[in-house]
Amino acid sequence: MGSSSGQPEFDYLFKVLLIGDSGVGKSSLLLSFTSNTFDDLSPTIGVDFKVKYLTIGEKKLKLAIWDTAGQERFRTLTSSYYRGAQGIIMVYDVTRRDTFTNLSDIWAKEIDLYSTNQDCIKMLVGNKVDKESERAVTKKEGIDFAREYGCLFLECSAKTRVNVEQCFEELVHKILETPSLTAEGSSGGKKNIFKQNPAQTSSASSSYCCSS
Amino acid sequence: MASTSRPNPLEEDDDAEEEVQHFDDFTLASSWERFISDIEATCRQWLADGPKNLVEKGAVAVEDSKNLFKVKYDLKNVAKSYCMEFYFQIDNNGSQQAGIGNWNSNSHDLQLCFGVKDFLLIAPQSASGVLLDSPESSKLLSSVAIALSNCASLWPAFVPVHDPSRKAYIGIQNMGTVFTRRFEADRINSQVPVKLMHLEGLYELFVSKFVYSGVDFSMHNFKVHFMMRLTYQTFPYEEDEENDMDELMGDKTDTAEHYGSESRNKLHWDDDCPWSEWYSAEDPLRGFELVVTCADKTVENTLEMAELENASPHEAEKWILHPILSPYLGDPSHGNRIDFSSQLLCVVEALDMSFTAQFMEDFVSGENPGSENLKTSVVIPPPTVLDRVIKDLFHEGSKLPDFTKGEHRLSRALKAAPLESLFTQFCLHSLWFGNCNIRAIASLWIEFVREVRWCWEESQPLPKMPVDGSIDLSTCLIYQKLHLLAICIEKKREMNEEFLDCIGSEDSSDASVSVEEHQKVDKRRNTSSEADLQRKRDSSIAEDTSNRLRFERKTESTNSVNQSPTHAIRRGSAGPAGTMMLLKSHQRLHAPFTQDPPLMTEDMHEERLQAVEAFGDSLNVPGQLEKDILLSDMSAFKAANPDAVFEDFIRWHSPGDWDSSEPEAAEPSGGSITEGSKDKWPPRGRLSQRMSDQGNLWRKSWNDAPALPADDQKPLLDPNREGEKILHYLETVRPHQLLEQMVCTAFRGSADTLNQTNFGDMKQMTSKLEQLYLITKSTLGALQRNNLPDRAETIKDLRRLCVVFEHVEKLVTVAASLHRKFLDASRLAQVIFSDFYGIYVPLMGINSNDEENKSRTEMEVGRQEVTPRERQVVSNLFSPPSANQSWRKVLSMGNLLNGHEPILREIIFSTGDDVNNGIHYAAAADVAATSDRRREEIETHRMYVSGTSNDLRVALSVTSCD
Ligand SMILES: Nc1nc2c(ncn2[C@@H]2O[C@H](COP(=O)(O)OP(=O)(O)OP(=O)(O)O)[C@@H](O)[C@H]2O)c(=O)[nH]1
Ligand SMILES: [Mg+2]
Repeated sequence: MGSSSGQPEFDYLFKVLLIGDSGVGKSSLLLSFTSNTFDDLSPTIGVDFKVKYLTIGEKKLKLAIWDTAGQERFRTLTSSYYRGAQGIIMVYDVTRRDTFTNLSDIWAKEIDLYSTNQDCIKMLVGNKVDKESERAVTKKEGIDFAREYGCLFLECSAKTRVNVEQCFEELVHKILETPSLTAEGSSGGKKNIFKQNPAQTSSASSSYCCSS
Repeated sequence: MASTSRPNPLEEDDDAEEEVQHFDDFTLASSWERFISDIEATCRQWLADGPKNLVEKGAVAVEDSKNLFKVKYDLKNVAKSYCMEFYFQIDNNGSQQAGIGNWNSNSHDLQLCFGVKDFLLIAPQSASGVLLDSPESSKLLSSVAIALSNCASLWPAFVPVHDPSRKAYIGIQNMGTVFTRRFEADRINSQVPVKLMHLEGLYELFVSKFVYSGVDFSMHNFKVHFMMRLTYQTFPYEEDEENDMDELMGDKTDTAEHYGSESRNKLHWDDDCPWSEWYSAEDPLRGFELVVTCADKTVENTLEMAELENASPHEAEKWILHPILSPYLGDPSHGNRIDFSSQLLCVVEALDMSFTAQFMEDFVSGENPGSENLKTSVVIPPPTVLDRVIKDLFHEGSKLPDFTKGEHRLSRALKAAPLESLFTQFCLHSLWFGNCNIRAIASLWIEFVREVRWCWEESQPLPKMPVDGSIDLSTCLIYQKLHLLAICIEKKREMNEEFLDCIGSEDSSDASVSVEEHQKVDKRRNTSSEADLQRKRDSSIAEDTSNRLRFERKTESTNSVNQSPTHAIRRGSAGPAGTMMLLKSHQRLHAPFTQDPPLMTEDMHEERLQAVEAFGDSLNVPGQLEKDILLSDMSAFKAANPDAVFEDFIRWHSPGDWDSSEPEAAEPSGGSITEGSKDKWPPRGRLSQRMSDQGNLWRKSWNDAPALPADDQKPLLDPNREGEKILHYLETVRPHQLLEQMVCTAFRGSADTLNQTNFGDMKQMTSKLEQLYLITKSTLGALQRNNLPDRAETIKDLRRLCVVFEHVEKLVTVAASLHRKFLDASRLAQVIFSDFYGIYVPLMGINSNDEENKSRTEMEVGRQEVTPRERQVVSNLFSPPSANQSWRKVLSMGNLLNGHEPILREIIFSTGDDVNNGIHYAAAADVAATSDRRREEIETHRMYVSGTSNDLRVALSVTSCD
């Protein structure tokens, strides 16, 4: 349960979002990560939500992971889920080419449109690598896409659990390396542009570009 | 050698005087000697040091000059203290004579007068201006001359004579050869003889200095070099008393009746600038000074001089333009100036106050204890003004504005509203309502909400708001709410119309598949069937223009009526979905009209997220809203396809979960289903694994869903309920929540307004505006969160932001003013702006950070040379004087520029002589006329004349052979 009182049972709270076409295995991936199981799940209606606690180094993290429906009918509603996410995982099915092409046609655009967080970390995940024989998207293509859109990239399988942990952990590491994101996650980190660097207040614009 | 060429008439006089004194008083004599040797020693030292070392030793730069320095030495003789100053120039190029090249405006007065470069100046040290009478001056000068010749220096030396205001000097210079130059300057500052106002007269004055008296000038030609510099100034803009009165009376006289008529008649320079809708700015460019230089001319007679006086300044060689800035630019204190930044500061103060009360009403009723300390300075404008503003907001022009107007690339980064929208206009009006104090804002807000409620109750469209589209979550909450409200009102209106339509004809509508039924459905904006044709339900189509949708639907609905050989009755069908057939009944699969997913403002999203967050983790409870949508879709599908089974719904709704062995059907985004599929009926295929699982939520829902067309369903978004909720929010909004949004929106609105300013291609301005948006964004970021972490600190930041805004606003005004003045000479506008920017921007940093350091700065921009092509534009700045203006001037000098007389005329006359000829004065002119060997020529006479019709200064240098 997400306690809204913000007790210090964790150092950081990060919001992570799973998006991608219907049937690529987002819910399976999440289930595999949070409860180490692989079941056939109903197609998600709207959104699902899970919490996972992680400890990385000294830091206790609470991950709130939002699993959205890939169904187009629900897409107009998904805009609200993008808000305030520090990490967004785009999932495609390596055995279905259309789920990969839709990433640039649909999902990357959705991120641009709805993500309120400029620095938010994006990750590309190719799922179902256990079905190697049916592969329709090469790893190279995945890497190229990730490079173009500035994402992290991994291939994994929710079924065999290959790379599932790594996928989330790598994302969290990257979030932790990004000061503006950790500031948000740790609540109460206030920045003051006038105090920080008075000399640059009016003359240098570059210093504000990165502060949110 | 110089030191040997001692005697000259002046010195001889003095020597004689000294000698007399020698005999009388030895102490006195030795004092003079000491005085002279003191001077000598100092000069020797200065000579030995040379300019470079002197600068290193702390010579001070002379004001306004980049290369002129001076060193100082205090002298004393028995009676008086003197101060000796040595002025020297650091560059070594150029001659000592002033030519057109070095007749620059920042020469020292004495350099200009006498055509010298380095010089000594000795003056009494008293600041109170102790007068030197002529004998004392001469004595002083000769002492210096002795000292200088003792140390073999060629510096000219000057001493002042008479009253300092006369700027009278005498001077002497040893030329290093047999020549000595003597200088003399004086001034007439009233009643200048008419003769000396004109060029002929001045020419004759000069000629008289080297021609024997009694010669008739008009009979002889005397070749004289002549240079002239004329300074023009645009008329100071007239202070209009009438206008000032208007401003003073302000809103009090500004009743509804004569708003927009009398008080707005006045033409201001910025009338078509974007900000003029709100305020009128003082022109940052107070005027212009134009310095026109006529280069070296050789003049031979008075007639030529007369012609020169008639010449147009356009014929001059060089034009230098000097913009004169309004002093307000350098004044960090706002004073009573009114502009966006001043009003933004007010709204920031109002935000600070807003935390003291629960509701906006509290500020108006005055029951709030916090409002007591407000009362003094606080004005609420009278009801007439309030009415006027409300009328302006709600009743002016029903046409939908262009919501992208004024929008900067970064505008949307601010959580605010589009410039032309109702809420932004409300905020901008608030800035000028009363003095934008919290009580004035409260009274305006209450009236505003009352008016919004009226629109709601009467189902009147909200002005300045779109009635369609999706809610833009990047805007501020009030804008989102007003947008949703506008949509709700629109829906309400449609429902009312429908209701009226139905009353007459239809009372048993659910039994028939009538055309009316379809049209009725048309009015509810539902998903287009175009998506269905592609077997894809692209939601973006739902946002498409309603016109197109209506058209398509009409055609489809007639189609469906024509070809409806259905057994059961279809309801709410949007037409067949491609060639798809129902599995069981082998009938066409029809796509139903469906309900739009409900629009939500950010607080509704927030609520939803919280609900999901509260239950989501424990059970697999998906979003209720989406579940409702799914259920609604299923109901509509069932109604449109009474014989359909669950599989049919999945094939239409989630094609990916239908595994078909036919390749065409298996491709979810693929093309149409071929006719071939008819041959093998029913098609082989099955639900996907996950869809066919036990306890599948979808199947459960399917079983629960009643067959109901979208139109008969409970609406997903109930406009009545949502609209009422929105009004409740507006009526009870916390003052600080309102003010936070107002601050953000006012900043964006003001910035977007400035952003519309036309200032041509000024890169610095463009990037400065961009910076403004970035700084604004990062400062406003603290607002509109759940709580302000540090209120005092935030308010401070906002005040600083106002200062930043003020600077940018000033810059924009300057850029706009320059741009419009130099429309056809954009180069000039740009160089002047760059120059101003270079001076102004460093000051911005100081003033915005250090609140104590609020000193006024004189703003001076550099002089710009005007190219020949730009002259016409510059000349147009000097609009012909009105009758009133020319009446004030006595036109007594020539060279008019568009009827403007020069405010200052400076002339340098000179004449030369051949060194080798060693000729005395009288013959000089004749020789100069024949001699072409200019290198060996020395300037024998030089006269500098500077003045206007009632003030004349003349300085003369004469070189003579001793
Ligand atoms: N072989 C294999 N199948 C997988 C894997 N991950 C998911 N699946 C299957 O793919 C189908 C879809 O998985 P879901 O997790 O429901 O897909 P989703 O992305 O959540 O789909 P929506 O909720 O509709 O957006 C299911 O039948 C899963 O069993 C995987 O790694 N390997
Ligand atoms: Mg899912």
